Amino acid sequence: MVSRTRQKRAPAGPFDYSRKVSLRLVFFLGAIFLYAPIVVLVIFSFNDSRRGGNVIWKGFTTKYYEKAFNNDALVESFINSLTIALVSTIFAVILGAVTAVVLWRFRFPLKPVYEGMVSLPIVIPEICMGVSLAVFFSSFGLYVPRDVAFPLNLTNIIIAHITFSFPFAAMVIRTRLNSFNREMEEAARDLGASEFQVFRDILLPHMRPGLVAGALLAFTLSLDDFVITFFTSGPNTVTFPIKVYSMVRFSVTPEINAASTILILITLAVTFVAMRFQSFEEPRK
Amino acid sequence: MSETAPPIISVQNVTKRFGSFTALENITLDIRPGEIFALLGPSGCGKSTLLRIIAGLETATEGHIMIDGQDMAGIPANKRPVNMVFQSYAVFPHMSVADNVAYGLKLERLPKPEIAAKVEEALAQVHLSDFAHRKPDQLSGGQRQRVALARALVKRPKVLLLDEPLSALDAKLRDAMRLELVKLQESVGVSFVIVTHDQSEALAMADRIAVLEAGRLRQLDTPAGLYKQPVDRFVADFIGSINMFAVIGQHDGATQAETTLETAELGRVRVSSARLPASGQGGLVLAVRPERVKLADAPPESADAIAVAGHLGDVAFQGNSSIAEILLAGGASLAALVSEKEADRLMQAESGSPVTAWWRADDMLILPENALSSGG
Repeated sequence: MVSRTRQKRAPAGPFDYSRKVSLRLVFFLGAIFLYAPIVVLVIFSFNDSRRGGNVIWKGFTTKYYEKAFNNDALVESFINSLTIALVSTIFAVILGAVTAVVLWRFRFPLKPVYEGMVSLPIVIPEICMGVSLAVFFSSFGLYVPRDVAFPLNLTNIIIAHITFSFPFAAMVIRTRLNSFNREMEEAARDLGASEFQVFRDILLPHMRPGLVAGALLAFTLSLDDFVITFFTSGPNTVTFPIKVYSMVRFSVTPEINAASTILILITLAVTFVAMRFQSFEEPRK
Repeated sequence: MSETAPPIISVQNVTKRFGSFTALENITLDIRPGEIFALLGPSGCGKSTLLRIIAGLETATEGHIMIDGQDMAGIPANKRPVNMVFQSYAVFPHMSVADNVAYGLKLERLPKPEIAAKVEEALAQVHLSDFAHRKPDQLSGGQRQRVALARALVKRPKVLLLDEPLSALDAKLRDAMRLELVKLQESVGVSFVIVTHDQSEALAMADRIAVLEAGRLRQLDTPAGLYKQPVDRFVADFIGSINMFAVIGQHDGATQAETTLETAELGRVRVSSARLPASGQGGLVLAVRPERVKLADAPPESADAIAVAGHLGDVAFQGNSSIAEILLAGGASLAALVSEKEADRLMQAESGSPVTAWWRADDMLILPENALSSGG
C-alpha cells in the first residue's frame, strides 16, 4: 500500500463486500444468529451449576462430562443413534447410487413419475412420514419383540431412516452424474472394458464425491432425526434426540449440554474426514 | 501405402437412420493400409456417426463394416481391433498419465512388466515420458491429447480413429500438431481415419479425403484431386476458396464441339462441349480459383482468355500475398490472389479505379450444382 491516510483509500469496488461497513455488520449479525446458541451450549456444558437452565456462570468444571459418560441410559441412546446412522447411511447410499444411475442412464416408461416418487419423501412433512411408517409397521405386524438383542432391536428405526434419507443421497449422486462426460465411458469401452469394468473403473470413481456427500447428508439426517424416530421407536429403543428430549422435560442439566457438545464434535469430525476424503482425488477443474 | 493391397477397413453400403432422420445414406468406401484418411464435411454431415459406426459405438441401420477382412456385425466396441481418440480426449481424470495409458493393457491382462515397458514406449512416442506420474488436470490441452493418442496407440490398433483431433487446440498448437500427427502416423504405420470439418486440416494431413454432405458421399479423392477437379459446386466451395458464376442460359455454339454458356456477370462464354459435366442435377456454375485470376489494365489478346471488367475494391493483406476484391457490374464481386508486389501497386491505386480481371478458359471449371444423380 502506498499511502496510509484515510482520504487516499480507493472507494470500495462493486465486489469489495468486506470493505462496506453495512455489509460487514450484516455478516457479523448473521454469524451471531447462527452460532451464538451453539457457543453458549458448549460454554455452559462446563458450568458448575446444578441446573443447565440457570444461565449464571458458577465456575469451570468437567464433572458433567463425567456424569454423562456414567449415565448408562444416555450412553445407550448415543450408541443406538450412531448405530442407526451408520447402518442406514450404508443402505441409503447404496440405494441412492443405484437409483441415481438408473435415472441418469436409462429411459423407461413413466420415468418422470418414478423420478417424482423418489423425491417425494423430501417434500412430505416428517410428521406424515412418521405416522404412516408407524401405521405401516403395526398393521403389517412388523413390530420388534421386546427381548430382541442389539442391534436387531433397531430394525424398524433403521428402515424408517433409510426411507427418508436415501432420496437425499440419490439427488446428490444424480447431480454429480450430470457432470460425467459420456465420452469417458465410450473411451473405456473402446479400450476393451466390459460394462461392469466401465462402471467399476470409470463411473464409480467419478461418483465418489457424490457418494461421500450423500453419505454425509444421510448420516447427519439420521443422527438428529426426532419426529420419524419418535413414531417408530419402542420403549427399549431410545435414540439420542429422544433421550435428550425426555431429559429436558425433566430438567435441563449441564449433562445434556455436555452430551450435545460431544455429538457436535463427532459430527464435525465425520464432516472433516468426509471432506478430506472427497477432495483427495477430486479433479480440480 | 499400397493401392492394390486389400483395404484395412471396408465400409459397404452403410446407412444410418435415427428415427425418420437419415444421418448416413448408402456410404461405400475403402480405407487402405497405412494411409491417413480424412472424413470431411460441415457439421451434421454424418462424418462423426460414420466414425462411431466403425468403432462400434453405434450400429449401422443397413450395410456392413469389414475390418481387415472380418465382418464387424455383432462385435461390440470393446472387441474391435480399432481405437479412438475422442474429441474431448476423454482422459480419465482420476488416473495418472501412465495409468491412463496402461488401462487398455490391464484389461487385456498382460503381465505387469510388459505393460510398464509398453506404456513407457508409448509415452516416449508422444514426448510425455516426464509426465507419467502427473494427473490429467495438471496437463495442458495439447498434452492431454497426447495422452489420449498414447492410450489408443499402445493397444496396437489396426486403425486409429480420430474425432476432430485438433478442434480444441489453439491455432499455433494446431499447426504444430498437424505435422506431429503425420509424423506419428509414419512412425507407427497404422492407418489413421480423421474426422474434421476443417478443409485446410484435411488437405494438409490426409492422403485421401472423403467429402460428406447431408449423409451422402460427395467425392473421394486425394487432396490435389479434390482441389483441382471438384465434382460439383458443393465440393468446390468447401475445399479452398473459389469464385463462382451461375449459368443462366446454355446455347449451342458455332460448331458441335462448342457450347455457349451465359452468366449474368461474365456474359456469354464459349466452352468446349467435352468439358460439360456428364451427369449431375441442378444448374451449372462456372468456377475459377482466385490464384488463377490475373489483373490487367486492358483485356488480353489471347483467344482462350475470359475477361471481365470491374472496379478495384478492398485489398486484404495476407502476408506474402493478398486478396484483391474486384467489384463487377450488378453488385457481384470477384476475388483474385495477387503477389506482394502487385498488392503494393494496387494499394497505391485509387479504390474504384477500373481494372480487368481475366483467366484462361482451361483454368475455369464447369460444375453441376450437385454431382449426385438423385436425392441430396
